[in-house]
Amino acid sequence: MRKTLVVVSLLLLVAFALQFVFAAVGAFTKPADDGAYSLHSLNGMAVIPVLTLLTILLAVLAKAPGRLIGLAVLPLGLVVLQALLAMFANAFTDAAGASTPVGLTIAGLHAVNGIVAVHVVVGLHRGSRELANPAPAVPASVPVREGEPA
Amino acid sequence: MTSGSLIAADLVIAVLAAAGWLGGGATAAARRRPLALGLATFALVATLARAITIVALARAGWWFAAEKILIAAPLSLAAVVVAGPRLLRAPRDIRSVAVPLLFAGYAVSSALLVTVLHGYPASAGAGLLAVAGVAAATAVTWRVLGPRPSGTVSRTVLAVGVAALVTGTGLAVAPNPASGVPHDHDYPDTRTVGEPTRRVTLTAGTTTVNVSGRAVAAWAFNGQVPGPELTATVGDVLEVTLRNRDIERGVTLHWHGYDVPNSQDGVPGITQEAVLPGQEFVYRFTADQVGTYWYHTHSVSDVGVRMGLYGVLVVRPAPATGVDVTVPVHTLAGLPLPEPTTEPIEAGTPVRLRLINTDSTTHRYALAGTSFRVAAIDGYDLHGPTPLVDTAVLIPAGGRYDLVFTAPAAPVALFVDGRAVYSTGPVSTATGEWPALDPLTYGASSPVPFSRFDKRFDLVLDRGLDLHGLLPRYAHTVNGAADPDIPPQVVRLGDVVKFTIVNRSLVVHPWHLHGHHVLVLSRDGRPAIGSPLWLDSFDVRPGEVWEVAFRADNPGVWANHCHNLPHADAGMMTHLMYE
Repeated sequence: MRKTLVVVSLLLLVAFALQFVFAAVGAFTKPADDGAYSLHSLNGMAVIPVLTLLTILLAVLAKAPGRLIGLAVLPLGLVVLQALLAMFANAFTDAAGASTPVGLTIAGLHAVNGIVAVHVVVGLHRGSRELANPAPAVPASVPVREGEPA
Repeated sequence: MTSGSLIAADLVIAVLAAAGWLGGGATAAARRRPLALGLATFALVATLARAITIVALARAGWWFAAEKILIAAPLSLAAVVVAGPRLLRAPRDIRSVAVPLLFAGYAVSSALLVTVLHGYPASAGAGLLAVAGVAAATAVTWRVLGPRPSGTVSRTVLAVGVAALVTGTGLAVAPNPASGVPHDHDYPDTRTVGEPTRRVTLTAGTTTVNVSGRAVAAWAFNGQVPGPELTATVGDVLEVTLRNRDIERGVTLHWHGYDVPNSQDGVPGITQEAVLPGQEFVYRFTADQVGTYWYHTHSVSDVGVRMGLYGVLVVRPAPATGVDVTVPVHTLAGLPLPEPTTEPIEAGTPVRLRLINTDSTTHRYALAGTSFRVAAIDGYDLHGPTPLVDTAVLIPAGGRYDLVFTAPAAPVALFVDGRAVYSTGPVSTATGEWPALDPLTYGASSPVPFSRFDKRFDLVLDRGLDLHGLLPRYAHTVNGAADPDIPPQVVRLGDVVKFTIVNRSLVVHPWHLHGHHVLVLSRDGRPAIGSPLWLDSFDVRPGEVWEVAFRADNPGVWANHCHNLPHADAGMMTHLMYE
C-alpha cells in the first residue's frame, strides 16, 4: 500500500507538471479560441481530481501519519480553489467581454495557487517515499506551508 | 453594488471562510496555536459576513439566494455553533480543537460546492449529499487525528452520513419526470408562399480566405466570409438553395431574427435534418419583415458560425437611398472582420449603418464625428429615437442596431472595441470612456399591448454538474438542467407568454428566442421606459432579471437558447413548443 502511495503521488506530481505544459500549449495556440485550453481543462478537471482522491484514499489505507494525510488532502482543496479562481478570472470582464484588472489579478492568483499546489505535492511525494523506506535517524522535514489562504 | 458583483463577492467570501476554517483546523492539528486561532477567527468573521451578502441576494430575488438560505445557512450555522465556542475557550492543547475547526471547514466547503455544482433549484438531494460529505470527512478526520470519539457519537455520525448519502443519491439520480422535445422525423412543410422573385444558391464548403494578408482556413458560403449579402424588398419571395459541398458535420440556414414559418427555421433535428455533404435544402419565405438580420448555420453552430458560415440578410421597404452600409462584425481565427474600409461621403447624404454582431460575445460600437440616432434594434424600428453624441452602443451576440445620421462635412468613423472599422476619413477620437446607451430608457414610450399573461415561465441561467451521457460535464444550465433534459415551454396559439430570465451565473448570457420577437417589460424590476423594444437577442448580465413577453403567433417547435454558442453547446438550449 505504501509503495502504491509513492507511485500514485508521483503520478499526481507528473499530472501537475503536465498541467503547466498544457497551460503553455493553451497560451501559445493560434488562433486562440475556447478549444486552446481543452487539454488543460481535461487534465485539471478530471485527471488531477481523480489522482488526488486516490492519493487521499491510499494515504488513509496506508495508515500514514496525520501530517501526510493532511498533505494528501490539501491538494483537493487547492484544486477546487483553482477551478473557482479560473471561473472568477473569466467572470470579471467588462460589458464587452474584455478582461479587467480585477480579473487579471485573480488570473494571477490562479498561477500562484498552481505553484503552491505543486510544492504541496512535492512534499507529499517525499513524505510518502520516507514512509515507504524510512531513513534511519533522519527526521522527515518537509518545508510545506499548510492551509495557504489564497 | 449590482447583483452580479454581489454573487461574485458572496462566492469569494465563502471561499475565504472555507479556506480559513480548513487552514485553522490543519494548523491546530500541527499545534500552531496563534496561527490556528488567527485563521479560525478570520473564518468566523467571513462566515458571519456571508449573512450580509446572502440577505442582499435574497432581496435581489429568491432565485439568487435559495440554496444559500436553505443549505448554506444551516451548514454555516452548524459550523459556527460547533467551532465558535471552542475558539472563545481555546484549550491549552490547540490540537484538541482541530476536529471542530475542520468540521466547520467541511460544512462551509460543502455548502460552497452546492452553490457551484448544483445551486438552482435548491434540492433536498444536493443538501443531503452535502451533509453526507461533511459526515464522511469528519469521521475520517476523527480516525486520523484521534482521540476516537465515544461509540454513540461515532455511530450517530455514521448513521447520519449513510442516511444522507443514500437519500441524497436517490433524489439526485431520480429520473426527471417530463423532458425532451419530440425530435420529429417528419418535418411538416407549411410553406404557403408564392413563386420566388429572388433566387440564391449558397454552397457551403471548406476553403481558405485572406484576412488582413493572412491565409485562414474557414468554412464559407460560396467561398467567402461573410457569405453573400442577401437583400430583398418587401413583397419579394426569397428562395435560397443551400448545398453542402464538404462540411462533414452538416449545415443548415437559420434566419436569425427573421420570424419565418417553423419549417424554414433551419434547426437540425427540430425543423429539418442537417444538410450533409452532397445534399441540398431549399428555403422559401416571403420578405415581409423590414430590417437588418443575418443568417448562419445552426448545425454544430458553435464551430460552424465561428469558422465563417454566416452572412447578412437585409429587407428594405423600398430600394435603398443614400448610403446604406452593413457592418457584420466577426472574429475569424482570432482576426477581426470586416477589414477597415474608408469611403468619403458627400456632406448632407443620409447614412444608415447596419451594425451586426455575429460573434458569441458582446461588442462595443462607437460612432465618432457625428450625432446619430438608433433607428432600429433587431430589425424593429424604435419610436422617437433622440440624437446621441459621444455614446457607445453595446450589441449582444446575434444582435443588430441600425444607426442613422446625415453625413457631416468632417469625417466620421465607427469604432468596434476601439478599432476603426468604417470611416469617411481620418478620425482620431478616443471613444473608450464614452458611456454606453441603455436601450431600455431610449426613445418614446408607449403602453404595453398586453393586458394579461396566459403563460409564465422562469428561466434561471446558471452552471452546474450535468450527469447526462457518458461523461459528467460542467454544463451551462437552465433551471438546473442542461439540454436535452430541459422541459420545453409549452404554449397554445394566441397565448400571451411572459418569460422571466434570471442570470445566476458569473457570465453574460445573450438570450435568443427563435421565431418571435419579445417585448422587454422590465430589467431588475425597473420597467422599460423607452421606446417599445422588440428584441430577438438581448444580454442578460450576471445578476440581472429580465421580464419579456410575446404573443404566441408562430406555431411550431422553436429553439430558445443562449447565443453564446459554446454555452448553447454546453447545455444552455431549450425549446418553445406549441400544443
